[in-house]
Amino acid sequence: MADSVSIVDLLQAGMKAEGLRQKAIASNMANIQTPGYRRIDVKFEEMLEKALESPGKASVSDIEPEVYQPLNTPVRSNGNDVNMEAEVGNLVKNSLRYTAYVRLMQKRFTQINAAISLRG
Amino acid sequence: MSIQGTTGPIDIAVSGMRAHGTQMEVISSNIANARTLDNGQGQPYRRLEAMFRSEDEGVGGVVIDQIAQDMSALKRVFDPGNPKADATGYITMPNVQMPVEMMNLSIASRAYQANAAILKRYQAMVRTTLELLR
Repeated sequence: MADSVSIVDLLQAGMKAEGLRQKAIASNMANIQTPGYRRIDVKFEEMLEKALESPGKASVSDIEPEVYQPLNTPVRSNGNDVNMEAEVGNLVKNSLRYTAYVRLMQKRFTQINAAISLRG
Repeated sequence: MSIQGTTGPIDIAVSGMRAHGTQMEVISSNIANARTLDNGQGQPYRRLEAMFRSEDEGVGGVVIDQIAQDMSALKRVFDPGNPKADATGYITMPNVQMPVEMMNLSIASRAYQANAAILKRYQAMVRTTLELLR
């Protein structure tokens, strides 16, 4: 396989980003009543796209997911813009993606294991 | 008109939960202000109604387009002892009707539950697919 990006690196980067996003969602949920709190999110997919578009220049495992404030949701009267339903939706999507990455990683290691055990 | 990827149903269910949550907020405002004679501008409170609009043409979520005032007639009640009573002894009350609000509350709460059920069921469906990767 002459792929410039290894599947394990790619899945690792994805799992790292989803782990951080899980933290961001937990922070949003914890601050649902905090006056002036603006919700945070994780920027990863755009950075991954850039890294994949220019192979060799930036390695996938070097991508650092970035925490940022989107500032695009309606703000309530106490200056807070966290919506519980939206966070629950993000949590569900996040956890499903994470499960997919873990399963794919597991599959990949099963393949490698199979290749190793051929020798014995 | 477009069909989104695998997260489409989640976004749609979340939009439904948000919209019906907002509607419940509007209903609670109506119930809380059912006897409010002054809306801040000297007029009695007018019942509010959340107007729903679909997000896109075709498959898509729902958003609250606007929260509009119900312009139906306000109630006139004979209450000569009330400081707000006019020369004939009548006061003007908000056009909120409790039975209507309670029915809307039931509908909103059921609709919220239905959207949450969609979210849960779709999550279970995707999990089934992910089980195939084991």
